[in-house]
Amino acid sequence: MAAPFTRVYRPLWRIITTTILNKGVRNFSSTRQQWSALNVKTAAVASPWALHGAVCLQRLPLVSQNRSPIEEEFMELMHQMELERSLLSDHELRLLEDAARMSRKQEEDYDSDEEEEDYRDKEIVTAQDLEDIWEQKLKQFHPALRLQGVDEKGVSSSERCLAESLILLVKKDVGSQKLWLLPQTQWQTGETLRQTAERALASLPGADLKATFLGNAPCGFYKYKYPKDFQKEGSVGAKVFFFKAVLSSHKHLPLENNSFAWVKKDELQDFLKPEYLKQVRRFIMAL
Amino acid sequence: MRLIGHLCQICQKEERIIILRLQWYLLVLLLQNTRALVCAASSLQSQVLTTQMPLGVLLTNRHYRSMPTHGIGKYRHLLPKALPKKKKERVQAKQIKAATATEFGVFNVCVSGYDMTLVEHYSQYIHNLCNHLDIRVDESCALPTKSTEVMVMQEQGTKMYVDAVLKTHERIVQISEMKATLFPIFMEVILKNQPEGVRLCLKQHTEADYQARFKTRPELEGLLAKINN
Repeated sequence: MAAPFTRVYRPLWRIITTTILNKGVRNFSSTRQQWSALNVKTAAVASPWALHGAVCLQRLPLVSQNRSPIEEEFMELMHQMELERSLLSDHELRLLEDAARMSRKQEEDYDSDEEEEDYRDKEIVTAQDLEDIWEQKLKQFHPALRLQGVDEKGVSSSERCLAESLILLVKKDVGSQKLWLLPQTQWQTGETLRQTAERALASLPGADLKATFLGNAPCGFYKYKYPKDFQKEGSVGAKVFFFKAVLSSHKHLPLENNSFAWVKKDELQDFLKPEYLKQVRRFIMAL
Repeated sequence: MRLIGHLCQICQKEERIIILRLQWYLLVLLLQNTRALVCAASSLQSQVLTTQMPLGVLLTNRHYRSMPTHGIGKYRHLLPKALPKKKKERVQAKQIKAATATEFGVFNVCVSGYDMTLVEHYSQYIHNLCNHLDIRVDESCALPTKSTEVMVMQEQGTKMYVDAVLKTHERIVQISEMKATLFPIFMEVILKNQPEGVRLCLKQHTEADYQARFKTRPELEGLLAKINN
């Protein structure tokens, strides 16, 4: 349909309802819980590796990405081709008919009886009038801005870079140093690793982040040994299992500047240690 | 004496020729008979299965089946096999598979929105992604379009008039037996590629969903009610 103008309609919300699916998923996690509890009871010797659950919380892109110059040109070409191949719509046919009728009326030998029944001596709303009304309404509509006016370089806001997905990083004390990590906590007996990850997310100070976890299976794994002075008889190091989650609510709480960061995939190397980064990069998709 | 000897020689020669000729005729007859017998035997086999023919017919000296041009006009064996027409069976409700510990059951990915091209392209994208990742897609169908009328209140007055008609299009991709380990990756890909203006919804497939696609038959229901009452 080739309309003379196109109404731009782009709502920036999207609703993801996974409530019913979550119920199904919770069934799985309860059976898993029993399995893991059984396992722990029967294990006589505890392993020397401490288990941690971590969450890879992503804020999905809210706006589509900008087109490259080639893509722009191609899009214009396709639009042009579609316009040239299309047929006239009802509205456009009405416009043409009205224009023809007006021109017939202006002629000297105009006989109003020759006009069709419907259009004789009646005040009709012409298609042109309708078009003008619609144009007025369009001018009143203001779409939301693509850039929210937030400093793009500052990593503390979750509103930056709306066209790309961002990952949450947290600064944490590990041993003696402060490191940027994905949020993680130690696993406790009797809970599943996914519950550990949920706890890690909930226990972040000062942030009220509602997230939807995508499945029970971990997406990544990182193993590290404690430095020599920390190694005791029972503990050699720790194993961290990462779970993926998607941010579902946007509470714009002011997060502390120095402890939280929302980063893109290419900015990760500025924050994470090389070994850690190598494992984390494997499961983060930059689409 | 020589003349008689010659004559005798000639006689012997002729005898030999005659003997040879006779032998030749015998051979030909024998061959013809055997060929006829072979044809008769094969025709016997086929004919015993089909009809009862009197023996006198088999023993005739008809040569048409032994002619090299026998069956020259046959074409039925070259045409494709025309199967008997199958009557359309009633669509049976498929058994909804339950979820196991490692696999999801049957669930629907519903894509809906106002812009039909976006909705269709996104559902096609999901279907192609499933094909690429070897995820089983049971069905990929459309639900009926729902029209929403946007009514605007007039500035001076209480009457409402129709401002616009919005059509909601919906497409469903039904997936079964998806591995639980693959699910987070799949979800992430489709969430990251979701276009603006398109709503995504994942639901477990139930019998009610399946029945909702069918049209109601009011006359049938009326008759059933009458029978019951």
